[in-house]
Amino acid sequence: MKREEATAVQSGYPGWPGHSWRGPEAPFARRNRHLTDLIVGKLLFIVAVLAILVVFFIIGFLLRDGYQIVLETGIWNFLGGVDWNPAGSPPSFGILPLIVGTILVTALAMAIAVPLSMATAIYIAEIAGPGTKAVVKPAVELLAGIPSVVYGFFGLILLTDWIRILFDRPSGSSWLAGSILLAIMAIPTITSVAEDALSSVPREFREGSLALGATRWQTIRSVIVPGAVSGISAAVILGMGRAIGETMAVLMVTGNAAVIPDPITNVFSPVRTLTGTLGIEMGEVAFGSLHYHALFGVAVVLLAITLAVNGLSRLIIRRMQRTPARSRAPGPLMQAVHGLIPLSLPHRARRRIIHPKTTQKFAFLLISMGVVIVLAALGVILLEIIVKGAGAISLEFLTAPPSDLGRAGGIFPAIVGTLYLVAGALAVALPLGIATAIYLIEYTADTRLTRGIRAAVDLLNGTPSIVFGLFGFAFLVLFLNFGVSLIAGQITLGLMVLPTIIRTTEESLRSIPKSLREGSYALGASKWQTVWRVVLPPALPGIITGAILSIGRAAGETAPIMFTAAVFSSRYLPSSLFEPVMSLPYHLFILTTSVAGADDQKFGTALVLLMMVLSIYLIAILVRHRYNRATVV
Amino acid sequence: MTAVALAGTLMVVLMAAGCLGSQPSGSPASPPQQITATGSTTVLPIAEKAREAFEDLYPSTSVLVSGGGSSVGVRAVGEGTADIGMSSRDLKPEETGMYPGLVTHHIADDAVILIVHPENSIESLTLDQVRGIYNGTYTNWNQVGGPDLDIVVVSRDSASGTREFFAEYVMNKEDFTKNQEEFNSNGGVQQKVSQTPGAIGYVGLGYTDGVKPLKVVVNGDPIEPTLENITSKRYPITRPLYMLTNGEPGGAVKEFLDFIMSEEGQQIVASADYIPVQG
Repeated sequence: MKREEATAVQSGYPGWPGHSWRGPEAPFARRNRHLTDLIVGKLLFIVAVLAILVVFFIIGFLLRDGYQIVLETGIWNFLGGVDWNPAGSPPSFGILPLIVGTILVTALAMAIAVPLSMATAIYIAEIAGPGTKAVVKPAVELLAGIPSVVYGFFGLILLTDWIRILFDRPSGSSWLAGSILLAIMAIPTITSVAEDALSSVPREFREGSLALGATRWQTIRSVIVPGAVSGISAAVILGMGRAIGETMAVLMVTGNAAVIPDPITNVFSPVRTLTGTLGIEMGEVAFGSLHYHALFGVAVVLLAITLAVNGLSRLIIRRMQRTPARSRAPGPLMQAVHGLIPLSLPHRARRRIIHPKTTQKFAFLLISMGVVIVLAALGVILLEIIVKGAGAISLEFLTAPPSDLGRAGGIFPAIVGTLYLVAGALAVALPLGIATAIYLIEYTADTRLTRGIRAAVDLLNGTPSIVFGLFGFAFLVLFLNFGVSLIAGQITLGLMVLPTIIRTTEESLRSIPKSLREGSYALGASKWQTVWRVVLPPALPGIITGAILSIGRAAGETAPIMFTAAVFSSRYLPSSLFEPVMSLPYHLFILTTSVAGADDQKFGTALVLLMMVLSIYLIAILVRHRYNRATVV
Repeated sequence: MTAVALAGTLMVVLMAAGCLGSQPSGSPASPPQQITATGSTTVLPIAEKAREAFEDLYPSTSVLVSGGGSSVGVRAVGEGTADIGMSSRDLKPEETGMYPGLVTHHIADDAVILIVHPENSIESLTLDQVRGIYNGTYTNWNQVGGPDLDIVVVSRDSASGTREFFAEYVMNKEDFTKNQEEFNSNGGVQQKVSQTPGAIGYVGLGYTDGVKPLKVVVNGDPIEPTLENITSKRYPITRPLYMLTNGEPGGAVKEFLDFIMSEEGQQIVASADYIPVQG
């Protein structure tokens, strides 16, 4: 066998290894480099295909447990049934209200989040001075790190109550509450990725446009935003992924009644989402029962919706990229509007109606209002956590194990456990994610395979965290027999943040000008040398942004570790990878839902979690800052 | 190149923070013997409080407690990923079929209490009235002797052991109204009811802060859900809580279960707001 391999290598690369030592030194080095290139290329390929494998694994596992419900009830009764009543006699498993609920909540959330995020991103990238930018940008990114349990608790206590009082309703748990909360949660993700895309539009574009006499607003609207459209779409898809997949916060505020709003535009109606159903019913459902299979069916439908959304947005992006912004004809709606203006204002028919400067003032005013709304919403939540949490913080709280169900003592084991989990998740996801992105951008053209890999990555991104949790439980905990353990949680979280890292790395690699690579090749560098020494260093800020978003997400997620890694409390630290750990979000989840009278500890835990993400984040900002200063030529 | 080095430094810092974190004397690494208990969040407080006392008594053993729900508990102990499963409901036929070796240990009782907003003037309901509210027959408090106020029905998720018990005992298996709001925890229901004037919910014994517990009328007699009335079974809505083992327990698991059933253990049950089954 060994000999065969050796022969194959020899025949595939004549002159190696038998001849090279005889040749001059330069060709030897070149051949060696070619070999490195080849091996690295193959390795990257294998890693990239792993993403597809993971998706197939997850889908296969969901289908295995989910197909039985369709056998039992029939596909149309399952998808089109309007009754979700698993505990009834006889039980009924119609998920139409859940599908409608998911679509409605996500759609309204995106309708709120996208304009606000775009306003914030444009403000940071184009309008704010360097001082303001240095504050607003990290502030918004940091907010991605607030754990969803905290958002949910804020929503349950304050938001639903405000809606109830403001609109004079019997109950504030509603579609509207869910959408507002999801919008607030998606804003940091969309803003920070969209801002990266806007900032990476080459400076010449801006200067050219301004030199032609366009106002700043015209430049932003007609040059910069169209130029960044691919990155902006990526941002929206990432944000939508977070919105569709969000479980813990949504189920605390939507009321979870499995009804279709009547009329369909009634935003005050309680609704129930697919994720919410998984989140509240999965923990207690009997293993192997019809209800259990129905929930896996729900997960499959959820994945299918994610796939449809991704496919649709991909189609839109491709169409947008095909038509350059300048040559795009005004749509029929705009034509109609333009046609109407002279009619309604006949005496001004031939004159330019609004001066561009006036438009700019108006646009900037709107953008500033958007930024203020975002900062105010996030400020309220932050203030709530800090004010209520500060009272609980003490040396004992930070260094002692909990006692009396977390009502006394501290959270030291949870702090350490969370650090272990996040570090492990990054150790899994960073190498895999960066390698996949390098393969996709640097090593292949747009083939069917890369499209497949990208689709798989998008699908992973949209996979709800609770599904990762179930997958981790079935595959890592049971099948590989890791037990409920640190390593099972690390791998599960790593897989969960993998798509974020791949997408952001891809985006920043793509923004590196082609001329840099060509220059490197012209100097005789190999592919791998080019990637490692020329392309990766300037792409680093983008990669770090992805890592930061991932840390925030991994540190704050409850659902993936609930079944794979977490224990409620322990006075000991784990001494091996195969022991379970405490973690801050899980601790917070239990304190919030199952322990009465631990208000101080609850907000204290949330504050510590936030501070931890903040300090990891500060390190990253310092790195990025130093790097930026070093390379500005 | 500097950038890559910096990224490397970042990674190393993270790993150092995560993996090499020094262990202060207050939190030593785990002792040799470990028991894991997982499952119902209703039973979790008992296991957790018992753990603290047990670890003081038996320093060579650590007990690792986690939640996730009754089904997670049944599955975990059945599959062998946990030594003890915790459940707030009886085993289902599917479960006894799949894991025939499971042994149930009745460790405590829990009462289900009806709660309303503190400003609601209603004091007591009959079980028929409660059923009427939860199946959608009554939609305004004035239909059951309360103020003129829309009823907001708050319930638990359909997989919850508490709801299942409620459905059997109070609802006689009738369907719940479709418009009820569902929460996945006692804490969620309590929070919702405490801030919604028209709401009614049902929770375990410990969750009555900020809400008003209702008396339940039995044979024309309103019974308050006090510890005394619940222990004597005069208050009608109580249910058993279990710990499960795969086969008869032995070693440290048996020591832990025996500890819970001991006088001290049952005092812990009472201090966690549950009803002791012995003593």
